[in-house]
Amino acid sequence: MSEENWIEVGSTDSIEEEDLIRFDHQDKTFCVYKLTDGFYATDGICTHEAVHLEDGLVMDDEIECPMHQGIFNIKSGEALSPPACEDLKTYPVKVDNDKIFIKID
Amino acid sequence: MKNNIIILGGGQAGIYAAREIRQNDSKSNIKILGEENLLPYERPPLSKDFLLDKKKEEDLYFHSSDVLKNENIEFENISINKVDFENKKLFAKNDNVYSYDSLLISTGSENKKLTLDNNLKNDIYYLRNLEEAKKIKEIVSNKNKITIIGGGFIGLEIASSLSQLQKKVIVIEIGNQLMGRIIPKQIADLVQYTHIEHGNEIILNKQIEKITKKNGDYEILLNDNSLIETDFIIAGIGSTPTVKLFENTNLKLDNGIVTNQFCETSIKDVYAAGDVSNFYHPFYERNMRLESYQHAQNHGICAGKNIAGVKTEYTSIPWMWSDQFNLNLQLTGICDEYDEIIERGNDINNGVIYFFLKNNKIRGACGVGIIGKVGRDIRITSKLSEKNTIVDKQILSDQNLKLNKLMQK
Repeated sequence: MSEENWIEVGSTDSIEEEDLIRFDHQDKTFCVYKLTDGFYATDGICTHEAVHLEDGLVMDDEIECPMHQGIFNIKSGEALSPPACEDLKTYPVKVDNDKIFIKID
Repeated sequence: MKNNIIILGGGQAGIYAAREIRQNDSKSNIKILGEENLLPYERPPLSKDFLLDKKKEEDLYFHSSDVLKNENIEFENISINKVDFENKKLFAKNDNVYSYDSLLISTGSENKKLTLDNNLKNDIYYLRNLEEAKKIKEIVSNKNKITIIGGGFIGLEIASSLSQLQKKVIVIEIGNQLMGRIIPKQIADLVQYTHIEHGNEIILNKQIEKITKKNGDYEILLNDNSLIETDFIIAGIGSTPTVKLFENTNLKLDNGIVTNQFCETSIKDVYAAGDVSNFYHPFYERNMRLESYQHAQNHGICAGKNIAGVKTEYTSIPWMWSDQFNLNLQLTGICDEYDEIIERGNDINNGVIYFFLKNNKIRGACGVGIIGKVGRDIRITSKLSEKNTIVDKQILSDQNLKLNKLMQK
């Protein structure tokens, strides 16, 4: 994989702990999370219905969709609670000089 | 021990119960008896994405037949017409007899029908199951001016979908507001405004006197003598629990099947879950009957645990939603026991929520906003309510202050 795949999202202080920000790149939307043990990234749209997860609730390692309460594990993307049944795609994240980067394939 | 477990009713509560039983009991026979010749499917999209052709029939099933096969859960399409609780047997119309050790009743609820003293029974459409949704979808493609009787969730969701299909829609509601059974008037008015903005006509405070068929179309006479001409009528005027089968039995009925917090009915080894159950909720210390997606699922799971011998109280905080146009409306807890109301937000674009407090604790909340704008706060509200948190009203009422601040770690 080449270095170009790492896309800068913003600075590490742009996200509060146990929260997320939305990040749009080209025609895709991502969510970038700050959990107690670091930063994580997933697709930004719920797999159940096309709603942005940026308005969802982050609890521990989980993101809950604001529309119908489907729950995903932020680290693995696993769909944990109906109505969501399809997993959420996750992306690698790195921090360099207080900046967050995500690797988009 | 290997038991025969029968689940009467092939809806959401039934399938979630079946899978939960299997999680805890690998040996027993589990059989779901369903009146529809379809595996359990999701009903919420029927009035929305299914009518709009954004979801197809195959998208609606909770699980494929493979999942049921792998978990050794049998599904049979059969109609039961007699129950013998004493001898633990169910009798089908085709003379089949089913014996059970444990029985879960998850027969759901059915639509109330309009009582009109003429022969229009087959002219008025209702929407509860996939077959009805298919019929409505097919027929409305050739209709232009559609009247919906009843301004509740289902009627308004259909009104929203039909409007998006470029139909002229009229909604007639007997009460003085939309969704009056459970939604506060302030929220209902915001939803009503959105319908009107999209061209739907909303008629409140009117009763139907008479419906007359004329050249294939209809004339609806209201109690103020006004006349509505329409070419198709759909009614959504509420529902009743499906309990006819049990009316002459010992099973205790009162607005559904009466159950305790463990989904147990008045008869040993007989459980009930979902829409059909009037259950005791230990948190609210009262009985209630709910008709919602989240309840059908969680109550089914709770019944499944109890049937499998894992004694579990049902303590889920009620939650429901409705999607109309670009709005998402959500309700949590109970909104009819309060001594104070607090409003958060005043612009539907950012979400508007009304909190119902009693003794400085949230008992319930109802919110509406552009899709995605109220879900997080409503979810936090459920948690605050569940934990009996004494809330800071300043934070509740100020949309610039995050509700997370009220959560205790």
